[in-house]
Amino acid sequence: MCGISGIISSADVSGKLVESLRNLEYRGYDSCGIALLNGAGATVRKNIGYVADVAEKELFTDVKGRVGIAHTRWATHGKVTSGNAHPHLCCGGKTAVVHNGIITNYRKLKSDLIRKKHSFKSETDSEVVAHLIEENLKGGGSLEAAFIKALRMLEGSFAVAMISPGEPEKIFCGRNESPLILGLGENENYIGSDFNAFVEYTRNAVVLEDGEYAVVSREGYEIRRIGDLEPIERDILRIEWDVETARKGGYPHYMLKEIHEQPSTIGQVLEIPEEHIREMAEKMLSARNLFLMGVGTTYYSAMMGQYYFSSIAGIPAYALSSDEAPESASIGRNDLVLAVSQSGETYDTLRALKTAVKNGARTAAIVNVIGSSMARMAESVIMQGSGPEICVVSTKAATSQMLTLMRLALEVGALNGAIKPARKKALIEKLNGLPSVISDFLNEYSGFARSLAQRHAGHDSWLYLGRGVYYPVALESALKVKEVAYQHAEGMPAGFLKHGTIALIDDKIRSMVFFPPQAEKELFKTTVSAVEEIKARGGKVVAFHSSKSLANSGLLDDQLLLPKAHPFIAPIVSIVAAQLYAYFTATALGRNVDKPRALAKSVTVA
Amino acid sequence: MKALILAAGGGNNMAPFSVSRPKPMLHIAGRPILDYTLEMLRESGFTDVNIVRGPFGDSIHKHYGTGAKTGLNINYIHQKKAEGIGHAVLLAKKSFNPGDHFLLIYSDIVTDDNILSNVLQTFHFSHLPTAGIVLPEETGSFGNVYLDRDMRITKIVEKPKRKDLGNYVLAGAFVLPYSFFDLLRKAGGDMMRAFAALIKKEGMKASIWEQGWIDIGYPWDILTANRVIMDTWKYSMVHRDINVKDAKIKGPVHIEEGVEIRSGAIIEGPSFIGRGSYIGNNVLVRKYSSIGPESIVGFGVELKNCVIFGKASVGRLSYIGDSVIGMNVGIGSGTMTINQNIDKSEIAVRFNGRKVKTGMDKLGAFIGDGTVLGGGHSIRAGSVIGAGLTVPHHHTYPPKGR
Repeated sequence: MCGISGIISSADVSGKLVESLRNLEYRGYDSCGIALLNGAGATVRKNIGYVADVAEKELFTDVKGRVGIAHTRWATHGKVTSGNAHPHLCCGGKTAVVHNGIITNYRKLKSDLIRKKHSFKSETDSEVVAHLIEENLKGGGSLEAAFIKALRMLEGSFAVAMISPGEPEKIFCGRNESPLILGLGENENYIGSDFNAFVEYTRNAVVLEDGEYAVVSREGYEIRRIGDLEPIERDILRIEWDVETARKGGYPHYMLKEIHEQPSTIGQVLEIPEEHIREMAEKMLSARNLFLMGVGTTYYSAMMGQYYFSSIAGIPAYALSSDEAPESASIGRNDLVLAVSQSGETYDTLRALKTAVKNGARTAAIVNVIGSSMARMAESVIMQGSGPEICVVSTKAATSQMLTLMRLALEVGALNGAIKPARKKALIEKLNGLPSVISDFLNEYSGFARSLAQRHAGHDSWLYLGRGVYYPVALESALKVKEVAYQHAEGMPAGFLKHGTIALIDDKIRSMVFFPPQAEKELFKTTVSAVEEIKARGGKVVAFHSSKSLANSGLLDDQLLLPKAHPFIAPIVSIVAAQLYAYFTATALGRNVDKPRALAKSVTVA
Repeated sequence: MKALILAAGGGNNMAPFSVSRPKPMLHIAGRPILDYTLEMLRESGFTDVNIVRGPFGDSIHKHYGTGAKTGLNINYIHQKKAEGIGHAVLLAKKSFNPGDHFLLIYSDIVTDDNILSNVLQTFHFSHLPTAGIVLPEETGSFGNVYLDRDMRITKIVEKPKRKDLGNYVLAGAFVLPYSFFDLLRKAGGDMMRAFAALIKKEGMKASIWEQGWIDIGYPWDILTANRVIMDTWKYSMVHRDINVKDAKIKGPVHIEEGVEIRSGAIIEGPSFIGRGSYIGNNVLVRKYSSIGPESIVGFGVELKNCVIFGKASVGRLSYIGDSVIGMNVGIGSGTMTINQNIDKSEIAVRFNGRKVKTGMDKLGAFIGDGTVLGGGHSIRAGSVIGAGLTVPHHHTYPPKGR
């Protein structure tokens, strides 16, 4: 997802464009740029990084102009380089273009243009638009005609905006399947991917529909159909909501939005090409020791990975908390360190990764933000492709990391013969079914998670317990309620309890227990006995489980009865259930869900 | 945009209160439910409101007229027989213009803030037909929705029988296109089928409401709604012309003109005391009590979490807790509402011969309009006493047969 913005005014617009980019940053932020018309050409400034940093480094506001366009990029595929950032210029340096979407026929268009002596500076599909317009102008005719002709040649999805000194008092824009909206101000007009692009300047907007283009001037605008140039009359929309509401897509909080995005972010992980997974798996197999490293939630993702590597791949993969990694593990030559990080900038993980490099270890990373330090530093990288995660508390990024590790464990297991091809195929099918399992779960169980949370929100001292892979599930779930609901929750292996902590049990401290499916007989049985130990000491037990007979046994004080799921994917269902539980606990307690106290999205300090 | 309020529903399960008034004219926190709906509409900038009223709808018309006092233009549409929601919506078609969107709201929902502004924001932002959705405690009697990642509704399952669901459900507030009338007509007036057609044709966006929301379906929902509304009160409002001597008043209270409160009385807020009511010596009015206008509360009475519509008298030394008392009800002295089962289990209420679980472990009585109860009664938890009855005094002496 990318963000487009444009402003035409009677005064300099560079400052407003930067502000507009900042408001669009939530759509993606690996690189950004602006183009302004002044004099004979369009001046372009662009680079990789956050809007605020790039704007400062590239002196965006030193460029002056009354007409400008801007772009913020979140690459899901392809490199993050300054050259690939928008805006793009034509060969003559006059026409500047920004684009959001995917032009499916760009290869053909590009080779045609190259044959006509156009030279390309980027690897993007977007740059063809600038050259197409330049090419179309060669036969004479107006800029508008050249623009329309170019749009008609594009296949796929696009929202495009263009400025050129040939028509210095106009912004041209058009769309097909990617959003584009006009904003109407006083003697100043705007375009944007969504209302956030200009919501600080005007609340009057006009929506462009698929297959339409608009010519925007300071005084007004004209919308026509790209196909037959039929003029379009459209009502002006009055925006009656605040910026945050629009950004959250109507969800009350980013956290809930991101929880609900998981069916598709998990789908993204399943679409990572198998070769890519195999390449990483081969490296893992050839390593002397394999370390999975993260901190906070990513440490728990790594720990889930440890259990899957053990049970599926039959090899040890040690999960390390990266803040302790340099001291707790002697990482050396021929070891492989796989770092897990949403931002790719986490200080502790970065430091551990650097130490590993220094010691001669090989490095790999699972990262969400393209172009981040870890993405650049690690020898091999898997991009999890979860899209921007805005809520400080990680949800969709975490499940995607777990899924990536599960795919890696399967691949390693298949390569070293720990699992047979038929079993691998069967488990991959389970993984492929996960998006719809999660989607059904979110739809059909949200109410139960909320009721459970409301019944227990008042209790602020908890033990979170699980055995096997449900131990990291318990740790991660405890972290969620700590982060967002400020409840004290201590995650612990259920078997560990009796070696000390059980002395805490009374009727005030509550235990949240995560059960495996009943099909995992041994694990299930030992989890039941942990619950019995707590009950025998007068403790109260709430459980996440999927066993009807357990539900009717009278052993539990309260529960969330989960849908039945295959043991391979059931831990992920529990994680998502615990995310909802933490969310509804936080809302019941009136917490600041998206920005919990004392927490920052990406911890880049020691 | 114009609004359409559906206020014709009789409320089959609202006995004993539905006999004499439409649901939206039930009083909570001192005002008819419809007042809150109209206030939300005015706040959201509406001027034109259409109300479909049913067989008992005269009282709505009489109370609101053309809407002058509410700041709205109210137009009434008369649904003569109870023919369902879909039929009511179709009746209103001619009050709207082709191409427009309209806001549809059910009049039996109560929220603690403006749910309409939420729904409208989502509509303006998405430009799609929009439905407000909520997560209730129990979903079995509502339209359960399925969402995709962009909060678009993919399907609606009405009153699921197949299994327990924990879905978001339709909250009773929508923005719909004029074309919905045609879809509804083609669906034979079936709202769910019309929604399904709309989802297929134009798509439908959901707007999540996480704050207080109550669907008034049963008499005890009046108590919950009363609590939800009173919890939004931040200030007391006490009319200048009241007569209070040596009484204690704490917390936010709304006390109207001409109220008399005698010495020794304690009023705990949030509570409401309507115009011209009399609160006797040593009366204890506990939290969430709503005493309608012109009521008389005798010496030493204790009231707790109850709604008294008005013109009632509660005789000395009575206890009324977790109860709803209709208009013109007389309660003899020494009457005791018992508000819990002896084993503290969930209280069930008998309705038309079937038992309905209330989800509450404290619940008193529901007494219909105009009923006169003699003195000295004990009323079992969850009792429903019809309207217009006269119940003689309860004697313990002389015993039966002497």
